[in-house]
Amino acid sequence: MLSIKIGLFLGFRQIQRSNPWTTILIIFVMMLTFLNLIAVSGILVGLIEGAERAVRENSLGDIIISPLDEEDHILETVSIIRELEAYPEISAYSVRYNGNATLEANYKERRDLSGERDTAAVIINGINPKQEDEMSGLSTLLRDGEYLRDDEEGYILVGAYYLKEYAENFGDIFDTIDAKTGDTVRLSIGDISKEFTIKGIVESKVDEINLATFIPEREFRRLFSRQDRNAEQIVIRTATPEINAEVSKNLKNDGMSDYAKIQTYEEGLPKFLIDIKKTFNVLGTFIGSIGIVVASITIFIIVFINAMSRRRHIGILKGIGIKRSAIEIAYVIQAAFYALLGSFLGAVVTYAILIPYFDKNPIQFPFSDGILSADPEVTFWKFVILFIITLIAGFVPAWMIVRQNTLNSILGRK
Amino acid sequence: MNIIEAKNIHRKFGSGELITHVLKGIDIQIKDGEFVAIMGKSGAGKSTLMYQLSALDEPTDGEILIDETDIIGMKENERTAFRLNTLGYVFQDYALVPDLSARENVMMPLLMRGITWAEASKTADESLDNVGLKDKYLNLPGMLSGGEQQRVAIARAIAGKPKIIFADEPTANLDSISGKQIIDLLTCLHKDSGQTIVMVTHEPEYAKNCDRIINMEDGLIVDEKNPWINRY
Ligand SMILES: Nc1ncnc2c1ncn2[C@@H]1O[C@H](COP(=O)(O)OP(=O)(O)O)[C@@H](O)[C@H]1O
Ligand SMILES: [Mg+2]
Repeated sequence: MLSIKIGLFLGFRQIQRSNPWTTILIIFVMMLTFLNLIAVSGILVGLIEGAERAVRENSLGDIIISPLDEEDHILETVSIIRELEAYPEISAYSVRYNGNATLEANYKERRDLSGERDTAAVIINGINPKQEDEMSGLSTLLRDGEYLRDDEEGYILVGAYYLKEYAENFGDIFDTIDAKTGDTVRLSIGDISKEFTIKGIVESKVDEINLATFIPEREFRRLFSRQDRNAEQIVIRTATPEINAEVSKNLKNDGMSDYAKIQTYEEGLPKFLIDIKKTFNVLGTFIGSIGIVVASITIFIIVFINAMSRRRHIGILKGIGIKRSAIEIAYVIQAAFYALLGSFLGAVVTYAILIPYFDKNPIQFPFSDGILSADPEVTFWKFVILFIITLIAGFVPAWMIVRQNTLNSILGRK
Repeated sequence: MNIIEAKNIHRKFGSGELITHVLKGIDIQIKDGEFVAIMGKSGAGKSTLMYQLSALDEPTDGEILIDETDIIGMKENERTAFRLNTLGYVFQDYALVPDLSARENVMMPLLMRGITWAEASKTADESLDNVGLKDKYLNLPGMLSGGEQQRVAIARAIAGKPKIIFADEPTANLDSISGKQIIDLLTCLHKDSGQTIVMVTHEPEYAKNCDRIINMEDGLIVDEKNPWINRY
């Protein structure tokens, strides 16, 4: 205890009297190390989280209602919707119907009936345009053309991957038609077909939207002869994302789980996404660890040189009866000081500058808007690791020099 | 009563062909309250002897009792504690901690003894007053002259009222006036508080106030005398 007190005092004075530029430089190195540790894995994980966020924003929302395992549709959809309307915590929702169809272009221009037809197998979503837009902001994802209106008929929105022009960059992997906004296309479900005009083209980082077409719900039900109004999916946006678990619980308690499966966004996440996140985190931490090694060597050298140049004073302190542990602590305190201040600044930069910056200006990846993800708890443990390693890197050289023979140190021998 | 009892002390350095036999069998007794000067030519082994007597080094052979404690074979941390509680040191080149103020330098051994901050600070100031550094409490060593630094070192040595003070050529780096002041200071301390002082010096002038002068030559004590006897 006494050693700690005296060590603290000696260490504090040493920091106080040391060259401020050197101190700033060391703290800067520690800050970069900390950033390296947080940011590398943060961006890797952020790639996935950015994708997740986009899915949550533009597709699945905070709560997803889907058919029970043994059913094809959500049962009692109409009463469920009525219930949802009564929840003040639900700020928006969208009822979705979907089915498979064939989309055909060029059928009018094709004079020669033996020529190849230009068709693509597509997924059709029947939506209430206004509800869907409030829920997922579909109208903001228009690459071209205009959004659907409730009072119109015969218009369709087509996902970019179904169109040759947009899907070409991806090679030949998608089944496409050669059409553009304003073109007439034919939609066929079995024997039934209907002509639609392409009103707009939607594109998103979320593939579910690129690989979908949208028509108003009324027309969908007519085409698919779905008179019972039982839908395939209801997605819900809660007032704030954090309350979704609670709202989901209340929905279940209201008895809705007898008619449909109710999941929060997190529950609905595919396992592979969670696994990729974990892997990226490990990978990022590994890369960041190289930074820790560099930083600990830096600290080691700094403390070693510092203690070596004060070897005589260390000898004198021992000579007049100061315990070895007190002197060692003085040097460990310095290392701790660098690590604390460096990490603190690193954390400030991460949470006050980098994260808000990447939130506003995501890194553009093909499949995601990359953000910087730094879970405070993970950050804290990384800090603890960095801190402990720094302490060791400060302690070892101090210990090496403090344990040298007292008289030799005083006399500067050997 | 003898506060230091050393018998047949040998100190050798190195091994094999390169062995140097520096202390060649020294017997010495120093009484409680005595002021002893060790004199001799450079290289005679004065410092080496002092390191043995002050528990900074271990003799190759021999026995040393300090204040009835056998210091041979003590563990490193026991020695450190022993030095802290029983001995005070004044080194040739001041040996202050450059990051600490005069007051803090003096406080160090007091704090290590477990004395409270306030108490240590008060004692340090009194000690600095004693050596004539009343308004230099807060000065860093770098801001003090050599003589002043040596006085801080003395203040540090005496603050804890150790049984014995060891001083190895405390005036060697000082001009003659500062050197004289340091010697006078040590003499006063000895007179006032009756502390045992063992001082190495090669200035006969500085040794004349001592109770006893021990002369060394080539690792042995060649004669001892009382400086008062031949004064007239
Ligand atoms: N660690 C050592 N290794 C080898 N020789 C030493 C060592 N310490 C002292 N000596 C030798 O012992 C002799 C006495 O040294 P010292 O006690 O410092 O003399 P003094 O203090 O009387 O001038 C010198 O010749 C010196 O070279
Ligand atoms: Mg000497």
